[in-house]
Amino acid sequence: MKSGPFAFVRTTTFRLALVYSVLFGLFSFLLLAYLFQATVGSLRAEADQRLDAEMRALGLAYNAGGMERLEQSVIERALVSGAPFRYQLETPEGERIIGDFPYLPVSPPDTVGEVSMVSLSIEMPRGEGTSSVTEAEGRIVRLANGNVLLVAIETGERGRIVRRITQAVTTAAPIGILLALIGGVFISRYAARRAEQLTRTTEAIVAGDLSVRAPVAGSGDEFDRLAQHLNTMLERLERLMASTRHAGDAIAHDLRSPLSRLRNRLEGALISPMTEESARETLESTVVEVDNVLQTFNAILRLSRLDAGAEGRMIKFDIHDLMSEMADLYEPACEFAGLNFVSDVGTGLAVLGDRELIAQAVSNLLDNAVKYTPQGGTIRFSVRRGPNGIAITVADDGPGIPEHQREHAKERFFRLDSARTQPGSGLGLALADAVAELHKGHLDLLWTEPPPNARGLKAVLTLPRDR
Amino acid sequence: MMRVLVIEDDREHATFINKVLSEAGHDVETAYDGANGLALARDGEFDAMVVDRMLPEKDGLKLVEEYRTGGGQTPALFLSALSDVENRVEGLKVGADDYLAKPFAPAELAARVEALGRRQVKDEPPVTKLKVGDLEMDLLARKVWRAGQKIDLQPREFRLLEFLMRHAGQVVTRTMLLEKVWDYHFDPQTNVIDVHVSRLRAKIDKDFDEPLLQTVRGAGYCLQA
Repeated sequence: MKSGPFAFVRTTTFRLALVYSVLFGLFSFLLLAYLFQATVGSLRAEADQRLDAEMRALGLAYNAGGMERLEQSVIERALVSGAPFRYQLETPEGERIIGDFPYLPVSPPDTVGEVSMVSLSIEMPRGEGTSSVTEAEGRIVRLANGNVLLVAIETGERGRIVRRITQAVTTAAPIGILLALIGGVFISRYAARRAEQLTRTTEAIVAGDLSVRAPVAGSGDEFDRLAQHLNTMLERLERLMASTRHAGDAIAHDLRSPLSRLRNRLEGALISPMTEESARETLESTVVEVDNVLQTFNAILRLSRLDAGAEGRMIKFDIHDLMSEMADLYEPACEFAGLNFVSDVGTGLAVLGDRELIAQAVSNLLDNAVKYTPQGGTIRFSVRRGPNGIAITVADDGPGIPEHQREHAKERFFRLDSARTQPGSGLGLALADAVAELHKGHLDLLWTEPPPNARGLKAVLTLPRDR
Repeated sequence: MMRVLVIEDDREHATFINKVLSEAGHDVETAYDGANGLALARDGEFDAMVVDRMLPEKDGLKLVEEYRTGGGQTPALFLSALSDVENRVEGLKVGADDYLAKPFAPAELAARVEALGRRQVKDEPPVTKLKVGDLEMDLLARKVWRAGQKIDLQPREFRLLEFLMRHAGQVVTRTMLLEKVWDYHFDPQTNVIDVHVSRLRAKIDKDFDEPLLQTVRGAGYCLQA
């Protein structure tokens, strides 16, 4: 993504902010219209009503008692204190009979009896001799005798309200829209910045640096979640890469040494005088050596496939059945090696997993136990239902693995110094660990007898229970 | 002697397989690609075929599948560098009878091809009794006698002996036993199979003059009267 001071304009968030400000403007306008209707509209209706009522009352007076009565009525009404009305009564020739205006401020209608609505300005006393001109509304009518009657009511208050509301809204709306825009810009720049950080992280990864991590702001928002997921992914990737690199080194070492041994043997056979018997012997030992290399190679392949996240063939099966088969498979071998084999595999409990892989992992643990337990020792094999899942335990009487080497022991090709003389590829525990991980379980290495004795390896393969 | 068809594109490999099987006493014919292989399999009367999975023209899976759909009955063994359980399942699904990962020991191949040839034909009534010399097995009653003397076996020992008796006279490898009797497809580092066989041998041979269960050096075991 290109950056720049206005890069945010292209962001989704900014566009959303823009849409919101337009909606906000529309809303302000509608609010104004409603307020206008609610206040000014009702004020106008009230004024109309009062004017009409006044006009009707005066009309009644005229009809009942003619001009005399009308004049009387007008005078009386004008005298009522606080009355909002202004009156003017004129002759057809435009002479003022009585009234509040020096002359008629609007032209009268020609038709008799027709009431016209008029707008006009009137002077309002404001105390201390001053006065101000204010708007007014009126009704004017030509009476049957040709005289003209005007009744007016001040509506200046209404105008002021209208102006004030309009002013408030026209001032507030731009501010609101501006704030919405600023907010939008702000949010979009924040979002753009977070996205930019993630982009930079991924760019660094693409460039080959797996140690970068996406910054987590700690707000727990979707960007944080995305960053966390990205980081988890990166950790897994980095671990994978590291283990691949490590495996590469280890392969170089662990496969090169048997291969060089092999080569030496063949070269040695070539330069020494050969009998058929010695040639056969050399070839046979060569085949054995090659088989070992191939076996290691297969184990590496299996491990890599597991590490690469192969799914395995997950089926639901009875773990106790499988484990009693394993016990059945290893018990004679233990007896043959002069070891006591104590198994307690319980009965019926289903797990969802790859039967073959679990069997192989447990077989590796049992192989190790048989290999490292001195004659007369005891191997305890048990399967228990624990709080965290199903714990498959192989505990032996061998030397065990010191605490500080336990994590290494699960790495590929790692071999304790004391174990280097024993045959083995150094992949057994790594594979068991990978199998545990594939099943979202774990492999723990402990002492069979805890310190101070600190003796024996107790390997616990924990598999989650099938839910 | 069996007539075996080998379908393998790698010449050197084909020669090697050919040699191994010829030395085991079989009459071998070779095809170097899938299309030819299928044609040969359909025309020739073979007792067994060995098929590489990756072949030019027509890959091994397809070949066996088409052969079976066409009604071909000859037992087939897949040879493949793809050795995962999934690959194996794929192979058996299309109608192969066995699956051997490359690289393999010659004895392993020979033993498995031998075992293929003696496959029970579909329409034959199921066998209920097995007999090797004076060793007898009743598959229904799940009982074993030697020279009329009853021998008590654990269920697993029974299955082990059953497998050996069904392949009497043939070499049976440790891997075959692990696969067919235990249904595991990995190699334990410990000599678990040997120990099981020793136990079985103690039960069926120890008190008798003539040993039936032989160890074949560098290959496996053979039960023979």
